[in-house]
Amino acid sequence: MLMTRLGKWPITVKVPLAVAALMITVGVIVSEQVLRRLEETQTRFLSDLSQSYLDGLSSSITPALLREDNWEVYDAIDRAKTINRGLRAIETIVTNADRSVIAASDPRVHPIGSQVETSLPINKFSFEAGANTASAMRVLSYPGRTAGIIFATFDTRHLAAERRDVLWALTISNGILTLTLALAGWFLVMRMMSPVRVLTDHLGAAQDGHADLIPSSNLSKTSGEFHLLFKSYNALVRSMRDREELAIRLAEEKRLGSLGRLASSLAHEINNPLGGLFNALSTLKSHGAVEHVRERSLGLLERGLNGIKDTVRTTLTVYRSDSQSRPLEPSDIDDLRLLVAPEAKRRSIRIEMINGLIEKMPVPATPVRQAILNLLLNAIAASPDGGTVTLTTNSTEQLEITVRDRGPGLPDWAAEVLSAAKLTPPRSEGGLGLWTTSRLIVQLSGRISIKRADPGAEIFIHIPLTRPELASAA
Amino acid sequence: MASKAELSRRVVVGTGLALLLLKPARSEPTSPEPIRFGLTPVFLTSDLELLGRLQSYLQLATGLPVNLVERRTYQEITAMLISGQLDAAWICGYPYVAHRHELQLVAVPLWHQKPLYQSYVIVDKKRDAQTLADLRGDIHAFSDPDSNSGFLVTRANLAAMGLRPENFFRRSIFTYGHRNVIRAVASGLAQSGSVDGYVYDVVANLEPTLVSNIRILSASEWLGFPPIAGPKNPPDGQRLSLLKTALLDIHKIEEGRAVLAMLQLDGFASEGAQLYDTIAAKAAFVATAG
Repeated sequence: MLMTRLGKWPITVKVPLAVAALMITVGVIVSEQVLRRLEETQTRFLSDLSQSYLDGLSSSITPALLREDNWEVYDAIDRAKTINRGLRAIETIVTNADRSVIAASDPRVHPIGSQVETSLPINKFSFEAGANTASAMRVLSYPGRTAGIIFATFDTRHLAAERRDVLWALTISNGILTLTLALAGWFLVMRMMSPVRVLTDHLGAAQDGHADLIPSSNLSKTSGEFHLLFKSYNALVRSMRDREELAIRLAEEKRLGSLGRLASSLAHEINNPLGGLFNALSTLKSHGAVEHVRERSLGLLERGLNGIKDTVRTTLTVYRSDSQSRPLEPSDIDDLRLLVAPEAKRRSIRIEMINGLIEKMPVPATPVRQAILNLLLNAIAASPDGGTVTLTTNSTEQLEITVRDRGPGLPDWAAEVLSAAKLTPPRSEGGLGLWTTSRLIVQLSGRISIKRADPGAEIFIHIPLTRPELASAA
Repeated sequence: MASKAELSRRVVVGTGLALLLLKPARSEPTSPEPIRFGLTPVFLTSDLELLGRLQSYLQLATGLPVNLVERRTYQEITAMLISGQLDAAWICGYPYVAHRHELQLVAVPLWHQKPLYQSYVIVDKKRDAQTLADLRGDIHAFSDPDSNSGFLVTRANLAAMGLRPENFFRRSIFTYGHRNVIRAVASGLAQSGSVDGYVYDVVANLEPTLVSNIRILSASEWLGFPPIAGPKNPPDGQRLSLLKTALLDIHKIEEGRAVLAMLQLDGFASEGAQLYDTIAAKAAFVATAG
């Protein structure tokens, strides 16, 4: 749990923390060693000093002790205290073998004849590091018997203070060192990580669709791996831009290709009746006198010219630039049949239209028609020869359009292109029409959903109606 | 130890004389025998400067080398004096009366112009005790079993009440020095002590902190000041008389007055043995009381 949370911290925090943790560990170990050595030294020093104190005192009091000469023993203790000032004896008690006091450094606390109770082990020196006192005990043996016991207590506050001072000095110096190294670590990592941050910022921007080159000022500041990395990144951005330009050029070429196809189909539409019209003309020239022939020929001419007129009108409507958005009319949907008719006829595909619109709809006509046209052409392309493509339009709260084909179904990539409505055109050359459709629907705040039918695919489009007051306000 | 030193000295001197006889080439006169002057620890023996000045003065006044001899107890000094190992010694009235048939008075110090002093019983300042009788059960510090002020006076006072120190006091300790009695009471080692009034007053003057926690419970009647005594039959009468003159005239020259100033004494006087009759009476009373 902690490790996963630690893993989420930035490296600029983790490295100084690791340095600090390491320094604290080292500091604790070193301090512990130093203090232990100090304690050993202090204990040895104190032990030696107290032994020499006890040695001196023993030799001077033993004869007096055997005589139980209270004054002599007291005088010896008093003198020893003056001589051994460095030891800071705070209390010395001399007793006989029965632990009855012969004399003590402070007779008021330990009067002559009082008993001394102590748990000290025989002939032991005891000193706890950091304690304020140390105690020592010495049994004075006279050949064959115990002459007496010396109990001594020494003031070790100066040693405890020394130990505290050392501990403080260690803590403070280690603290300063740790802080300095952690700061240095932070600074170093910040410096080392700055190219990574530049790269991260640029990659983030690229994800949002506008990849920028890393400026050469940044590039010149780095060296080594980061320099290479920046150069590679810039190369990547350049190749991405090239690809985008290529895609735009491709779309343009495709548009021109479509235009060519349209012109050719238009010529075809016009050319088809032309043969009949010329036939009628020549019949009229040769047999114009015959009335029923003349009538039939003129009828043919009129129908043929009407067909051409229809074709020209529809084409004009499709490519009329309506800068002002015109509401969608039911006839706009009907016109679509004419537009796809040549392609449908070529493939022997039946176009089924169920136009549920009965009045003008408050949605822009041109993009809607363009979108439906693309879907129809795509459905025709997907359908097997002799198949059927169905277009259903309906209006309730919104405009609903369904295009159904009976082909093999929409491949995944095509469905993705259609529903994702990305800003850039799809990678493969196909699907440009679908991408255009998806962009148009998004611009109309519409929604595309795809359903697999058996066989084929069903594409639903829902476009919200523009409120008249909003439209007028715009 | 002392007698050994003395012996070896004599051996050396004797050998030297023998060598002189054998080697007549030596023209220097033999160095005179030094005056051997005994001091007891009852006196302020801790002051080395005082000892040095006293020795210098005596050498100057007598024209003889002077050896100051110190021992731990009165008993040792008294024994050396009686046995003729010393020309004279500053002893106490008690040993003097005890051995008055073997000793002669040389000079008696004058304190406040009188050859008299008192014995004090001292206690802790905070104690309620009013009289010696209130000190029952104390640890009591005496100076020396042969001291008048530091033992005999209190012993006699107790005897007057029909008591003995070993029964009256829980414990008696001997410190072999009046200053030590003061230290013992000041430190709390002893709850009370018997001390030389002269020494107590001098110590109180010189070391007020030492007596700051002590008060004088009772003072005895005026008694003969510890005298300078010599053997009744001195080893060298001339040396003794030189010493006596030097002591009696001590106030006459600067070096002597410096010694007196340090001792806080006024001089020395020639006194009769009757000065110590009161002490003799106490000793007799104690001996009878048992």
